[in-house]
Amino acid sequence: MTTVRTPDPPVARDAPARVRRRDRPARRRKSQPEAFAFLTPWLLGAVALTVGPMVVSLYLSFTDYDLFTAPKWVGFGNFAHMFTDDDRYLQSVKVTLIYVLVSVPLKLAVSLLVAMLLNTRRGGGGFYRAAFYAPSLLGASVAAALVWRALFMGGGPVNEVLAFFGWHTPSWVDDPQFSLASIVLLGVWQFGAPMVIFLAGLKQIPAELHEAAAIDGAGAFRRFRHITLPMLSPVIFFNLVMEAIHAFQAFTPAFVIGGGRGGPADADLFYTLYLFEVGFQDFRMGYASAMAWVLLAVIAIVTAIVFRTAKLWVFYDDADGTGERS
Amino acid sequence: MTVLPRSARSVGRHVLCLVIVAVVLYPLVWLAFASVKPPDEILSRLSLLPTRFVFDGYTKGWEGAADVGFGRFFLNSFLVAGLSVAANVLSCSLAAFAFARLKFRFRGALFAFMITTLMLPYHVTLIPQYVIFQQAGLVNTFVPLILPKLLATEAFFVFLIVQFMRGIPRELDEAATIDGCSVYRTFWHVVLPLSKPALVTTSIFTFIWTWNDFFTQMVYLNDTEKFTVPLGLRLFVDTSSESNFGAMFAMSALALVPIVLFFLAFQRLLVEGVSTSGLKG
Amino acid sequence: MRRTRERRTLVALAAVVPLLLTGVAACGSDSGGDGGDVTITFVWWGSDGRATLTKKAVELFQQKNPKIKVQTSFSAYAAYWEKLATQTAGGKPPDVLNVDTRYLAEYGGRNVLADLNTGAGKAISLADINPELAATGVYQGKRYAVPWAQNTPAMLYDPAAFTAAGADPAKGLTWDQYADATQKVSAAGGFAARGATDFGILDTTLEIWLRQQGKQFYTPEGKLGFTADDLRRYWQLAGRFRDAKGTSPADVTASYNTSPEQSPLGKKLTSSEFAYDNLLPAYQKANGKPLNVAPYPTDAAGKTGQYRRPSMFLSVSARSQQQEAAAKLVDFLVNDPEVGKIVGTDRGLAPNLKVRAQLAGSAKGADKTLYDYEAGLEPKLGAAPPVPPKGAGAIQKLLQRTYEEVAFGRMSIDDAVSRFMSEAEKGLR
Repeated sequence: MTTVRTPDPPVARDAPARVRRRDRPARRRKSQPEAFAFLTPWLLGAVALTVGPMVVSLYLSFTDYDLFTAPKWVGFGNFAHMFTDDDRYLQSVKVTLIYVLVSVPLKLAVSLLVAMLLNTRRGGGGFYRAAFYAPSLLGASVAAALVWRALFMGGGPVNEVLAFFGWHTPSWVDDPQFSLASIVLLGVWQFGAPMVIFLAGLKQIPAELHEAAAIDGAGAFRRFRHITLPMLSPVIFFNLVMEAIHAFQAFTPAFVIGGGRGGPADADLFYTLYLFEVGFQDFRMGYASAMAWVLLAVIAIVTAIVFRTAKLWVFYDDADGTGERS
Repeated sequence: MTVLPRSARSVGRHVLCLVIVAVVLYPLVWLAFASVKPPDEILSRLSLLPTRFVFDGYTKGWEGAADVGFGRFFLNSFLVAGLSVAANVLSCSLAAFAFARLKFRFRGALFAFMITTLMLPYHVTLIPQYVIFQQAGLVNTFVPLILPKLLATEAFFVFLIVQFMRGIPRELDEAATIDGCSVYRTFWHVVLPLSKPALVTTSIFTFIWTWNDFFTQMVYLNDTEKFTVPLGLRLFVDTSSESNFGAMFAMSALALVPIVLFFLAFQRLLVEGVSTSGLKG
Repeated sequence: MRRTRERRTLVALAAVVPLLLTGVAACGSDSGGDGGDVTITFVWWGSDGRATLTKKAVELFQQKNPKIKVQTSFSAYAAYWEKLATQTAGGKPPDVLNVDTRYLAEYGGRNVLADLNTGAGKAISLADINPELAATGVYQGKRYAVPWAQNTPAMLYDPAAFTAAGADPAKGLTWDQYADATQKVSAAGGFAARGATDFGILDTTLEIWLRQQGKQFYTPEGKLGFTADDLRRYWQLAGRFRDAKGTSPADVTASYNTSPEQSPLGKKLTSSEFAYDNLLPAYQKANGKPLNVAPYPTDAAGKTGQYRRPSMFLSVSARSQQQEAAAKLVDFLVNDPEVGKIVGTDRGLAPNLKVRAQLAGSAKGADKTLYDYEAGLEPKLGAAPPVPPKGAGAIQKLLQRTYEEVAFGRMSIDDAVSRFMSEAEKGLR
């Protein structure tokens, strides 16, 4: 298991730099009882409901397990099979990587732009916020899938608009070339969650900072670059990490739109969709568990990299003064 | 910046917003109209408007499925989503405070572990978790849906609140500590009120995601009387027999109402946020 | 320092494993007793309409057996299997369950289902069920299931469109005549809608086509019963239809979904489709036009290849603590004349021949079309194929996927055939 390290806030500012390291354990012990009091519910949940099932799935990943009869130990067999003898697995990796690389930046950019557009005290804010959030309310229901299908169907509004510009396309959802794009767009369309988080983050930035900078003659772009971005960086960081994790695990949009299979000619065979099919429809839960742990390892590595780089661009107010803030 | 553009920019902003609204809301408008189309047009007619308006979907849909009225599904969903909100806000903010503000052994490792729990696809932990609740005799109750939230197993929210709490100026709680406040009082009177945007965000997401969650509820609930809205919606549609898409669309549209209202009510708190709660110092 | 901390966390994690695994291995045990009241659970798949009918039948059962309480639960087809897999893995499958022929081997072969030839299952009467139909519930010598209804693969079509094209599918067409007719139907509509839904993706149609030539989809040993060459010829047949624009274009074919409302015929994109006869009312409602059922097209020899298909099964869980009550419910649902009246043809024809004869006499409308169709076909029906082996569910999707590669022109028939054969071999190991 790869360990992800949060950028550790340096210890108390009043402590002389030389003794910081030695000072640490003493200070830690000081607030420990309280810390564990606060952590009790989470610790209980982790021990009772999370750790156990995770360990079981780790164990199962080394077995041949059909759900109904006892698991048989196969060592690294599942992992070997994945990379040497399973074309669909490789297809699912490809689909997922494309999805992560395209949808995450797109969704973050759209949601940040819209959040900034909304972050104003002028009128209509409530209405727009609700309207922009509305698509996310629909979730990934059967209704959402059917609506999406109708939009991209041959003769549907998207095709009509494109045809107007001379580009004739088939039914997006059902064509291997366009299908993944329609799912990416669905993901981006439901940009409400990161937007709300950005908005909440923007609200935390004291308006005085902007006003002061404006008086000093800083233009909108400079204020965005030097005030908004650094002040918002913890939230951008959060959204980046979470959206990346979610994108790696994308399941429901492809599941409902693709009718529970990998779309036309496996064009939407997302990693977790394939995992689900293997585990619950083909009764190979051992292999599915192995797939899950490979995914965990990949996500952990990516997240660890993002966390490492965080030191360079994420500014916390509890940090030691490298932030633009102080 | 000149003087005039202020109003011009405001108009520009509205025009831009309205264009986005139109693009973003079109699918939902389509859904609303689909709910009043005659049965043979719902899936085959592409145009927005039906040839004639039929409200059968609403009347049939509200009757529910298999002798259980749809109102019952709404009540169940309210119960589950409401309790989930309370449970999540409480437990996640407690854990987040510890991670964001307190120092303790294994902090780094525990935090890393918490993030790791987000990375494993839930499909492979579903069965072991199901076994736990089954052994406890809690299958076919709402407990498996709410207890995990009371125990802060949704690391997403812990992480979210941590990120926000770390944005709160440390001087504030340090000042409180100097004034003789205990950690608990600092948490309750200083940090928690300042984390309002994060807590509101947590509430909104928890409510909406629970309201829309299908998979967990499907696995744990058996009796139709205990079904929630997403389960009720799928009772209208089956790939192996005759479905009632009219009722499904009508009830899907109706199911949006509570979450829209919830969002509208809570997003006000989001706007007030920190800017009005005295973070001026 | 960090490293030791990690290690300690891992050790702690590992300590919990045995705890959980004993949980996985443990079986549930129901309280409940001899002579006293017992409670059994009963699950099926389907939509709301089917549930209302089934619950009525269950109520009748409870009236006649006041000591048995039945807890029912139902879900849509896909969700049903996910839930059943979870419950079964958890050690507590429902007492009475609905099983599909594609999953009979998966569940039966893994000892989840009780052998109804022994123990409490012997109480279930099969006397009035067609022996060939009853035999479809037997896998490797054990009776894991009893047919709950019978249907027959059929062609559903729009009679007006085909009459205009000068063809009458109800009288039986050859594949050549069908190809010709679908092309004409497509041409009449300017090729916007097509004469038929492309059948290259349908495993049932492949099976019927193979049977018409005296071959089979699966051997009794659970291997593929056809060769690469057979599949190539089948897809070449489908290709002939597609090239002549008699069948749906690739993107419409890819949107195919077994749900009548979401299938191309239900969405008015084609005028005929291979499905099952009992789905006629649902298709008709979705399409909006009066539809009819017809037998499959044949080759010159005229062999239809059709058979009595168990549209679904009822089984009893091997782990049920209430096998007697469960068997009683199964017997009641299959044989009781009142139940036959309540549930009608929603799942297909009643398995009990006496009940079916009674109902056929008073049938009206779409029901009557169904009874007439089955009665006319009865003498031509052949023996049912062996139970599909473990992995059959995946083969169905494999066929769909590989044919889509062909339909979209991304792969030659030869390449797609060899991919199908190699993946199928792996899947059926």
